[in-house]
Amino acid sequence: MSIAVELPALGESVLEGTVARWLVKEGDRVEQDQPLVEVTTDKVDAEIPAPAAGVIEAIVAAEGDVVPVGGVLARIAPDGERPAASPRDAGAASAQPAPRAPAAPAPAVRPAAEAGPAAAPRPVAPARPVAPAPAARPAAPPEPPRATPVARRAAEAAGVELAALEGTGVGGRITKADVERSAVPAAEAARGAAPAPRAAAPPARASEPSQARAATPRAPAARAGAPHSAAAERFGHYAVQEGDRVVPMSPLRKLVAEHMVYSKQTAPHVGTVAEVDLGGVVRLRDERKRAFQEQHGVPLTFLPFVVHATVRALREHPALNASVLEDAIVEKRDVHVGIAVETEKGLVVPVVRHADRLSLAGLAAAIEDLSARARTKRLSADELTGGTFTVTNPGREGNLYGFAIINQPQVGILRMGEVVKRPVVRTVDGEDAIVIRPLMYLALSYDHRAVDGAPANAFLHRVKQLLEEADFDV
Amino acid sequence: MADGLHIEWLGRVPYDEALARQAQAVEARRAGACGDRLLLLEHPPVVTLGRSAREANLRTPRAQLAARGVAVREVARGGDVTWHGPGQLVGYLIVDLAARELRDAHAFLRTVEAALAAALAGLGVEADGREGMTGVFVAGSRPPRKLASIGLGLRGWITWHGFALNVTTAPDAFDDIVPCGLHGVVMTSVARELGGAPPALFDEARAAVARAFAERLA
Repeated sequence: MSIAVELPALGESVLEGTVARWLVKEGDRVEQDQPLVEVTTDKVDAEIPAPAAGVIEAIVAAEGDVVPVGGVLARIAPDGERPAASPRDAGAASAQPAPRAPAAPAPAVRPAAEAGPAAAPRPVAPARPVAPAPAARPAAPPEPPRATPVARRAAEAAGVELAALEGTGVGGRITKADVERSAVPAAEAARGAAPAPRAAAPPARASEPSQARAATPRAPAARAGAPHSAAAERFGHYAVQEGDRVVPMSPLRKLVAEHMVYSKQTAPHVGTVAEVDLGGVVRLRDERKRAFQEQHGVPLTFLPFVVHATVRALREHPALNASVLEDAIVEKRDVHVGIAVETEKGLVVPVVRHADRLSLAGLAAAIEDLSARARTKRLSADELTGGTFTVTNPGREGNLYGFAIINQPQVGILRMGEVVKRPVVRTVDGEDAIVIRPLMYLALSYDHRAVDGAPANAFLHRVKQLLEEADFDV
Repeated sequence: MADGLHIEWLGRVPYDEALARQAQAVEARRAGACGDRLLLLEHPPVVTLGRSAREANLRTPRAQLAARGVAVREVARGGDVTWHGPGQLVGYLIVDLAARELRDAHAFLRTVEAALAAALAGLGVEADGREGMTGVFVAGSRPPRKLASIGLGLRGWITWHGFALNVTTAPDAFDDIVPCGLHGVVMTSVARELGGAPPALFDEARAAVARAFAERLA
């Protein structure tokens, strides 16, 4: 039985690591304690040693992959269970009573995950076929296709069956290029052969029921966020074309995708927009930003103003600081505001806890600290959970307004637009006049299961009012 | 088994040589040929780039650095770019965390931070760690003024690499780089925080650091 090389718990606050560099290849023989792979975490760089001597059967996590603590990095076929000890060779060795080769088939089995739940215990197969299997052994179960991790993922992404491919890599391994070459015809074949897009396995292997599962053990997880089977069949999936770049989803991307689909399916979203005159806030910010930076060590942006106004409004409108729980609506005592942060790895939403207890400076510092650490991946799990409402500021130019997807299990999310100067009509000394004001569109998405239009608009209007009054203690 | 911490002063050692000695020390520790060690030393000027280092964080072109006798090394560690050189006390920690029943890299990092803070307190500089940033900073400083960088590696459960404490480093020592790729962090030194360097400051710092680690990793 192969031994899994797992990412050890390197520290109580270390939750995951990124595979930086493999020091060995599949098929390499390793000694116990030999460094196999370098993994970087937010705290330390660690070389993970081999738990036992043997042959690297499979590298499971590719360079650049983020692996959770306990996640499998590689599998080792340990010494003593390699081909020499397998019943296949034991039969050939006939009367020689080899100490580790019992006459009856060895009870060693492949891990269930590889063999498929229905498969009977199978004899251990050599990790690498040293020579072609003799023709007289038609009953021997076929090897799972050997492929590089990158190729496996490309195949999953493109819906290509690995078993159908001819490997051109080292030792006949299937490479990403092999997958890409086959992707176009395979996808076309799948469309023609609907409704079974995965039926493209070659006839020679079609009799092996566990083969398909063994070849794509991670297929369901890899399909996160993608339209699912039946619907995908009806409405069609994209056939990868030559020249396309197939980018596997990172774990974070998959999580975001799943969350978005879940939220849209769960909560009927309604959007509403307020036009906010930020004249007062702009003046305050211009007056104070220099001193603020000096005093608090963080820049004074619009975001803390908006968050400050939001938490005050949430206090007055608890219906927006809520969750839907089965057939009840839970209004929460505490106000913890999630701040959406775009990082190199994707979207994360750290949470400012008890945001209603913080001053404007406190909010600014907390937001700055959380976003800086989000970008350097130094957030703890606690800091990413427990939000009761979310504010997002995509903040790129040309962003007039848009409706964000609610961060479940919350019931509202506020999305900031770009601050732009516009001519507006104001009444000055009883006369209407056109004046130039810095405006921002503030868009609220809310869950209509929990909140109706009138209270949602009242809440949004209150945020607008607070921002326009600009009564902030900076 | 961990029996104490053996502390050695190696003097000024080129970066490559120190790296090789560390690797040997890790192997020896693994083989049980020696106990836990703290190697204290100083490097000739060198800029090291970690694996995630971006060339943009190197402010001076490589050729110009070479002309000034500053070596540039790409190192198989995480993190961005940093500088080592005269006036900086470098400590490499070869510690078997498993033998100490301390299988927690984060906890060990905190021990290193605490030891450095204690040593600095003895020298008259109040310092502490910062939530979310590895290293040791002048207590309460905004923007953060960094006194020591920490970068630990693990081989199995044996640590290597360690810390670099700026004791009497020249004020312009870090001008060639954006330290650790962190804009907004100011590198400082013990001498600068004290408003000047007493004659034997480096030796005092070395003794204080040795004492602090001996106490915590005895």
